[in-house]
Amino acid sequence: MKTRMVWLAGVLLLAAGFSRADESFAKVAAEVNPKLVKVYGSGGFKGLPSYGTGVLVSPDGYILTVASHLLETPDLRVHLHDGSRWSAKLIAVEPELDAALIKIGTEKNKVEDLPFFDMAAAKAPLAQPGTGILAFSNQFHIATRDEPMSVMRGTIAAYARLHGRIGIFEAPYTGMVYVVDAITNNPGAAGGIVTNRKGEILGLIGKELRNEQTNTWINYAVPLGASLDIRLADGTTAKISLADLVEKKEKYKAVAKVGKGAGGGGYLGLLLVPNVVERTPPYIESVEPGSPAAKAGLQPDDLVVYVDGLPVVSIDMLWEMLGKYRPQDRVQLEIRRGDKLQTVSLTFEVPPRPVAPSPPPSPTALPKGNQP
Amino acid sequence: MNPALLSLLSMIAPGFQPGFDDLQEKAVKAAIQLVSPSVVQIETSGGTEVISGPARPGRPGPSAGGGVRKGTGPTTGVVVAADGYVVSSAFNFANKPASIIVSTQGGKRHVARVVATDQSRMITLLKIDAVGLPVPEVLPLAAMQIGQTTLALGRTLAGTPDASPSVSVGILSATGRVWGRAIQTDAKVSPVNYGGPLIDLNGRVLGILVPASPQADGETAGFEWYDSGIGFAIPLEQILSILPRLKQGKDLRRGLLGITLQPGDQFAIEPVVLSVAPNSAASSAGLRPGDKITAINGKAISSHAHLHLQLGPLYEGDGISLALLRGKDEVKIDKAVLTGSVSTPPPAFLGILPKRDDKEKGVAVRHVFPESAASRAGLKPGDRVLKAGLAADAAKAAPTVPIANRDGLAQLLVNANIGQFISVEVKRADGSTATLKGPLGPYNQTLPEKIEDKASLAKLDKEPEKKPETGILKKQTAAGDRAFWVSIPENYDPRVSHGVLIWLHPAGKGKDRDLEDLFGTWDLIAGETNLIVVAPRCDTELGWTPGEVDLITESFKFVTDAYNVDRRRVVAHGMGMGGQMAFYLAFQHRDMVRGVAAVGAGMAANPKERVNSQPLSFFLAVGDKDPLRESVADTAKKLGEFHFPLHFKEMKDRGHQYFDSQTFDQMAVWIDLLDRL
Repeated sequence: MKTRMVWLAGVLLLAAGFSRADESFAKVAAEVNPKLVKVYGSGGFKGLPSYGTGVLVSPDGYILTVASHLLETPDLRVHLHDGSRWSAKLIAVEPELDAALIKIGTEKNKVEDLPFFDMAAAKAPLAQPGTGILAFSNQFHIATRDEPMSVMRGTIAAYARLHGRIGIFEAPYTGMVYVVDAITNNPGAAGGIVTNRKGEILGLIGKELRNEQTNTWINYAVPLGASLDIRLADGTTAKISLADLVEKKEKYKAVAKVGKGAGGGGYLGLLLVPNVVERTPPYIESVEPGSPAAKAGLQPDDLVVYVDGLPVVSIDMLWEMLGKYRPQDRVQLEIRRGDKLQTVSLTFEVPPRPVAPSPPPSPTALPKGNQP
Repeated sequence: MNPALLSLLSMIAPGFQPGFDDLQEKAVKAAIQLVSPSVVQIETSGGTEVISGPARPGRPGPSAGGGVRKGTGPTTGVVVAADGYVVSSAFNFANKPASIIVSTQGGKRHVARVVATDQSRMITLLKIDAVGLPVPEVLPLAAMQIGQTTLALGRTLAGTPDASPSVSVGILSATGRVWGRAIQTDAKVSPVNYGGPLIDLNGRVLGILVPASPQADGETAGFEWYDSGIGFAIPLEQILSILPRLKQGKDLRRGLLGITLQPGDQFAIEPVVLSVAPNSAASSAGLRPGDKITAINGKAISSHAHLHLQLGPLYEGDGISLALLRGKDEVKIDKAVLTGSVSTPPPAFLGILPKRDDKEKGVAVRHVFPESAASRAGLKPGDRVLKAGLAADAAKAAPTVPIANRDGLAQLLVNANIGQFISVEVKRADGSTATLKGPLGPYNQTLPEKIEDKASLAKLDKEPEKKPETGILKKQTAAGDRAFWVSIPENYDPRVSHGVLIWLHPAGKGKDRDLEDLFGTWDLIAGETNLIVVAPRCDTELGWTPGEVDLITESFKFVTDAYNVDRRRVVAHGMGMGGQMAFYLAFQHRDMVRGVAAVGAGMAANPKERVNSQPLSFFLAVGDKDPLRESVADTAKKLGEFHFPLHFKEMKDRGHQYFDSQTFDQMAVWIDLLDRL
């Protein structure tokens, strides 16, 4: 039965193939291209390109692109699909989403009736891995003036959290992205778009980043529906989104995020083994009596393997993760004791004394176990 | 009935005309769903940083550079037996993690242990305590079709083991790759899916994705090709056939014949034996230099590449039949049993330390190593070797030839074997001459306290006409983008040849102050033993990447261009990640480096074979409380198996720290002895 089914499927595929064996994307490209722009700004040094891509999000000339060095110039220029050249100004930037809004046209020199992508697409359901996609951008500055964008075909590889790095710095955006099965993230491609095969916009192509998880270059797009909950200094959270940035325009105010490790006054009473190598596994050396760790039954030689479900590979990573909590926050730790895994719940307390900053590992001295 | 096909059928609804892309997209999604439960997520904790593999040309931008630094994200594995066996790429464990956890369908987490690794195909077998795991269907090699659609699945990206695995779509590009061990796909293969399955549109598994290279061995070989359109997988059919052997817990090694071939274009030249290793399959089977191999297991062989292709898939313990042409005779060998390693004999050692900057004919003896051939034959410090020759044994007369200088004597000894007889004619300090004889021995591992006698014969009575810059110099690369430091001893004299110590700092220890501190530490020995210290600075706080080898060679070239350098005393010295970089540099640039002094650093990859004409010595030290102690001890063991001259020292009551003062002094002596013969 199975063999026959395979044969049958082959025939069906063939039959379908004959009708439209190699689908042309000419129509889609013709619809999408007029909505994209070429952006020119600062750059040209240290291997940074002075060109990029953007996407029109309103008929009167608002353009969504990535927040980059490119925009740091009073002489920002844009080429529309018809070859016309415009100077542009920066309207708003949201570093947490790595996005910026720029605008062409002035009171005197108005632009109207430009073709654009409606941000309503931000509410469309997510594209699943395996979905066919097209990518449009001016990568490598292959096009100028009225020349069309480069079109690439590929697949959605995954919908995943971005763990990106620029050099040694963590990428500003750490939310969910479409990872793309096509080499889309090239110089100048940032600000271009990924669409489905019908030309419906899915997301904004991001900067060139290395994936922190694998140390490889990563190809991704920030979904149009991207939003993040940002923890503010007063302890409340604020929701930010691309849709909000585009809607509020000039009135948009980027929120000030609390720095890393803020609220790190949370106390668990864990003492870990000396953090001496680049990747010391987070083994518990001792537990302070009466501390949250002691109450939860943690013991010396327990290995912390997950914090609230996220894997921990080293002491450095554990400190970074625990630094995000404050007193009264709850955290779930999964620990390995011998060959068994156990889950424990702890509540952070106010530290009984000031927390000393952890000394960096030194080649000449063995640091003492440090204290969270 | 296969759901992938069902979904295809259901697409053909009346009034709907699906395109090829629609059908393929449906089929891709269905195939992913089918295999997804068998694709597990692997998380590791601890382990070392890994530097290996050649540099990959960087893309433009601030983080250009390349090579392997293993990431910290989760990796992928595939269930191969319902009772808890999972296979993955050995790459995922190259950093020797302290803990491995496997998450199966539904997010259940299991502690995993490594059962064994196939060192030939670089596949690792894991065992978890679980039953009833879903085993995927296999697509056998015979059923694979070049050009068929293949999907590469991985679990690095999607956060949870229940999410859909990541997918890259491609085709099967070739079979029989990497000397018959791998299949090839143009789907993007990278650390994102190493260890994951390569499947077809019916959800059958063709193979397990791995980095692989026809030119190199090891966990990380082939990584530089990631996402390039050339990706490899090990056929699952073959993995299943060796599963019973792996389950026994013993690593599988590639089967070796134990011969070297006459050099030439590997695709054009017939394989003619150049040498036969002792105790190898070839020596047991009676192969001889000059034999031409014409067939293996009945398959005709007409080039080196043919031979590699036949031997590539075989393991230690496999038997082969051979057909040879010996002169005009055809010789048949019914069975040769391949071995897992081939021992190259240790290098022969005369046992003298020559004086440097010697303008006269011959070699002046500075020091004679105790219990060496030189000491047994009666050589003494102050003797001058004028002629030397080698003979197979004591009975045969050794024809001696004049020795012009240190390099001449080194040349004579380069291919000498232990047990061969050397005969030397010397002029003694009192003007008399003598002919001395004795059998060559192995290198003596004990370090003398200090060599008191003066190292250099350079005549220094007058001040040199021109003296280059001395002290600590901060320099830039020609491109101006990178910095390196050079420390030239204040007593530098251009007539005296100097050794070079290349310091590769640990991750995050490349600041001006760190380097100045260390220059202070080295000052004294650098002046006493004529040593120039070079300290390139790595690009990031995270430590060295293989792409930075260029910076190191450029800073070294600055020194050789401007100063009098003794090329036989060039040492790569590093700690932690810097030590790993030192190993990497030494094996990548054997023409440049003669010694590696590493503190608290083990090698991630296996050592490469010795090259007699480019000797390499090792000085390894580690604190007895250093978490990396075992890894360093393991490195010492491996280097020992390859018979590299080696000093390994455990420092008492120390953690991950730099040398104690005693070990530091020993390193200074070790460097001073690198030009021994």
